[in-house]
Amino acid sequence: MRLGPDLRGLVGLLLPYAVGLVALIVLPAIVTFGLALFEWDLLRPARFVGPANFQELLGDEVFRISLRNSLTFIAVAVPLRLLGALILALLLHPRFRGAGAYRTAVYLPTFVPDVAYALLWLWILNPLYGPLNLILGAAGLPTPSWLTDPDAARWGIVLMSTFTIGEGFLVALAVRAGLPSQLYELAELEGARPLHVLRRVTLPLMAPTLLLLLFRDTVYSFQVNFVPALLVTDGGPPPYATTYLPLFVYREGFEYLRYGYAAAATVMMFVVTGLIVYLQWRVIHRWRRQFAI
Amino acid sequence: MAELRFEGVHKRYGDVAALRGFDVAAGDGELLVLVGPSGSGKTTALRVAAGLDEVSEGTVRIGGRDVTDVAPARRNVSMVFQGFALFPHLKVADNIGFGLRARGVGRAEAARRVAEAAGVVGCAALLQRSPTELSGGERQRVALARALVREPDAFLLDEPLSNLDPHLRSQMRVEIRRLHDRLGATMVYVTHDQVEALTIGDRVAVVNEGIVQQVAPPDDIYRRPANRFVATFVGSPAMNVLPADFRDGSLAAGPFRVPIRPPAAAAGAARLEIGFRPEDLYLAASGEEVPARVALVEVAGSDAFIHLDVDGVRLVARAGRDVRPMVGETLGVGLQPGRVHVFDADSGQTIE
Repeated sequence: MRLGPDLRGLVGLLLPYAVGLVALIVLPAIVTFGLALFEWDLLRPARFVGPANFQELLGDEVFRISLRNSLTFIAVAVPLRLLGALILALLLHPRFRGAGAYRTAVYLPTFVPDVAYALLWLWILNPLYGPLNLILGAAGLPTPSWLTDPDAARWGIVLMSTFTIGEGFLVALAVRAGLPSQLYELAELEGARPLHVLRRVTLPLMAPTLLLLLFRDTVYSFQVNFVPALLVTDGGPPPYATTYLPLFVYREGFEYLRYGYAAAATVMMFVVTGLIVYLQWRVIHRWRRQFAI
Repeated sequence: MAELRFEGVHKRYGDVAALRGFDVAAGDGELLVLVGPSGSGKTTALRVAAGLDEVSEGTVRIGGRDVTDVAPARRNVSMVFQGFALFPHLKVADNIGFGLRARGVGRAEAARRVAEAAGVVGCAALLQRSPTELSGGERQRVALARALVREPDAFLLDEPLSNLDPHLRSQMRVEIRRLHDRLGATMVYVTHDQVEALTIGDRVAVVNEGIVQQVAPPDDIYRRPANRFVATFVGSPAMNVLPADFRDGSLAAGPFRVPIRPPAAAAGAARLEIGFRPEDLYLAASGEEVPARVALVEVAGSDAFIHLDVDGVRLVARAGRDVRPMVGETLGVGLQPGRVHVFDADSGQTIE
């Protein structure tokens, strides 16, 4: 096959990415699917066990707790993250003095490296000298033991995740900026109050994007709590208050050397994610038809 | 309906003055056209009237009421935007009724008035459609229906036809004019198209550099331009302008002699210019008048525009359907004496 110069350039640009994608994601994914049917601990040769790993997972209480923790986390954190990104984007959309600095401040926590971010929160959440409890205490509010009380620890992880909303914020900001200003001028002339404009103009026009963000964030949130759960709460307080699916997989694989079992858990996680992606496709498809976008 | 009046309005954006003492009024029930080149300030004037932009200085009055500091929603004007500004997610009926619902008019009452307004502009059949399904002309009707459903004191139309194809444009132009006559509405209509301005307006205000150059009925704008800018901006092709001076009791401009006596006002002017429209430059077959070489012939349907080289000066003449000279041919040209405009070359003002 002969390629034109444009196509050759395109292939040249895509090739490194494609190689990385195949080597780091596609191949390990295929291996994971196969591995889920084996028992393997790195020491002895792998042994084919068929669906035994999956059968064990269904009866594993820790897996059930991890799955429930993950789904609860998503149900609480995703709406909060999305709402935060949307509200901040709408507040920081108008041009005013210092808007750029505020926008940067919103985005900044998102690109702090995960480990540094986790260590920072280990300090913030410290019940004795952490600034969060100092502030809560000074305001006369209850000061939970963030790292030892199960509910408080779960909320702590949610709280951590609500500050890394930079990507959703940027997308919402860009979409809002792309809405025609004439529509807003018209609404102003027609006497529409701000809440009416928000409800009847801004939200409906942003809805397709917001839905996309919602589902994207749902998938993302399955994985996002791995580092905090490992470094800040260590999966606890005991026994498994903040053991989410990624941490469960990590423990089974790298601590208990049950690679086949961990792979099976990963496949289950993939299936749940796939269900959500399917839901995403269905809902967005309907939105698109409704608005002919 | 009510009169809409600009009184000495200035509008500055930083160092840039968009309006510099803008003075004009659209009378009660009048269709006033603001026409000018892009950047002349005509759209700024409309936005100031709507309250979307604040004035830097001066007063805006609607029906005698000073609305300079009144919020847009309380001015009771409606606007038709260049791109129509329809909400893509709302049905046509909800687009038209948007302002009514926003102001708390009940659902049934709003539906009744929406149907009535849609009937007036002829889009009653579209009410349940989505704007994305409509053609340009249909969107235009919906935007007009939305503008009139609230029964505003004045309509502001910002280049309402510029997004339509030429055929539809002339059709909608007639419809807007008829709508105006039927409603007796006060309308301020902004366009950069001088043909549109002359055909649609009761009166035309020619705007340049943030100042109204002349306000007059279309015929007067064309026949008695107040200055060189109005004379050359209105009319297509543009008026021919030549430097001129008085010599031996007549006005000499290049090869032409215009038998008019120096008016008193011309005495003060150091330099003069004459202007004449392409149709006022007549062509003769032989070179008995002023000889002119044909440089280019533009055929525009019934007319043709003949570009001529007269002693090194480029002039344009309009010829009827029977005259189609060859490029390179030499013709004789002459001026219709009564149709010559005289300008002060320095101020650009017309000298009567």
